[in-house]
Amino acid sequence: MAALSQHHRRYDFEGDLDKALNRVDFFRLFHGIALRYGFEHFCVLQVAAEMEGSNLASKLVLHDLSAGLAETYDKRHRFSESDIYKSLRRSAIPTVWHARDENTEGEDAEHNLLCQLGFDLAVVVPLQAVSGARYAVIFLGDEGGIARQQHMELCYEANCVFDYFHRVVLSVRTGMGLTPRETEILRWISYGKTASEIALIVSVSEHTVNSHTATILKKLDVVNRTQMVAKAIREQIIL
Amino acid sequence: MTVPVNILLVDDDPAENVIMRALMRKVANVTIKLHYVETVEAALEFIRTAELQLDLILMDNRLQPQADFRETVPELRHSGYIGPIGVISSSITDAYFQSIDDYGVDFRIDKAELDPTAIGFIIQEFVNRDSRAAQ
Repeated sequence: MAALSQHHRRYDFEGDLDKALNRVDFFRLFHGIALRYGFEHFCVLQVAAEMEGSNLASKLVLHDLSAGLAETYDKRHRFSESDIYKSLRRSAIPTVWHARDENTEGEDAEHNLLCQLGFDLAVVVPLQAVSGARYAVIFLGDEGGIARQQHMELCYEANCVFDYFHRVVLSVRTGMGLTPRETEILRWISYGKTASEIALIVSVSEHTVNSHTATILKKLDVVNRTQMVAKAIREQIIL
Repeated sequence: MTVPVNILLVDDDPAENVIMRALMRKVANVTIKLHYVETVEAALEFIRTAELQLDLILMDNRLQPQADFRETVPELRHSGYIGPIGVISSSITDAYFQSIDDYGVDFRIDKAELDPTAIGFIIQEFVNRDSRAAQ
C-alpha cells in the first residue's frame, strides 16, 4: 500500500492506522471511536447507486451489531425505505438522528431506522472511497446528543479509519499482484489440496486460507478455483 | 444459536479466566462455552483429547517458558490445529505484532479492548462463517 504523505493529516492516530492489518484491527479502530464518543455500536455500509431492494445485511461491510440483528431487521423492514438511508441518497453532509425527533411522527415514524433498531441516537458519516464508491458509517447509541466539536472530530476520525479500511481491506481488485503467501496458497490449490489441507501445510488457520483464496479470486478476476488455476498457469504466475 | 461456541483460553493467569468468563456471559445472542488451560502443553492435550469442536483459541501472548506468540502459536499449528487463533495481550504495540500472519495468528487484540461487543464480533467473523457453515 502506498504510504500517505504528511499532508494527509492524521494527528495522533496515525500510528494505529498505519499498523492496522485486517478486519479485526479495523473493528478495533471503529469500535474504539464509538466508545470514545459515547456510542455502543457502529456499522460501515455501502451506499449503492441502486437503492431499490437493498437490505441492511447485504450493505454492511463491517459492523459490531449483535449477531442476527441485521437479518432480523431485514425480515421486518425495508432498509432502502428508511429515513437514514434516504438521507444518504439526498446529501453527503453528516447527519444526527434522535429516535424521538419531532418530525418523525406518523408515517415517517414507520421508516425511522433508530426506532426499528432500538437505539436513541445515531450519527451518520457519509464517506467516499478513493475509487469514488460511496459508503457511510453509522454510530448507534443511547446518549441524548453530541456536541459540535465532538461531532466534527468523530466525522474526521471515521473518515481516516475508513480510508485505511478501504485501501487495506476493501479495495482488492483485478490486476493487483499476488503476495508471496497468496502465490504459495495458489500453488497448493493447483496441486489439488483442500483449504483444510493447505492450512495444515502452511501452518495457518483454515479461515486464513479461505480469506487468501477469496482475495486471489478477486485479483485474478475469476469465479472459482478451477478457473483460478487455469488462469494462473496461462499467465505464468505458477509454472 | 443453541449450539454453543467453544472457546479455549490459554493464559497462565487464572484471574484472566474469571474475567473472561464474566465477559463471555454478556455476549448477546450467542451461547459460549469457555474452556481454560494455563500452558501450551495443556492446550495441545486439550485439542488432542477433547470430544468437541473447538471454534476458537484465545492465546495470551506471553506464556512461560515460551517467549511469546512467535513460539507458542506455531506449536499449535504444527500439532494440526487449523481453527482460528487470536493473540491477547496487555499491549500489542511491539513491532513483532505486525507479523502475526507469518506465525499462523488470525488476529491480535489488547485485553483492554476485549469487551462483549468485541467477542461477539470475533465470533461472527471467525466462527459463524467457516465452521458453522460447514456443519
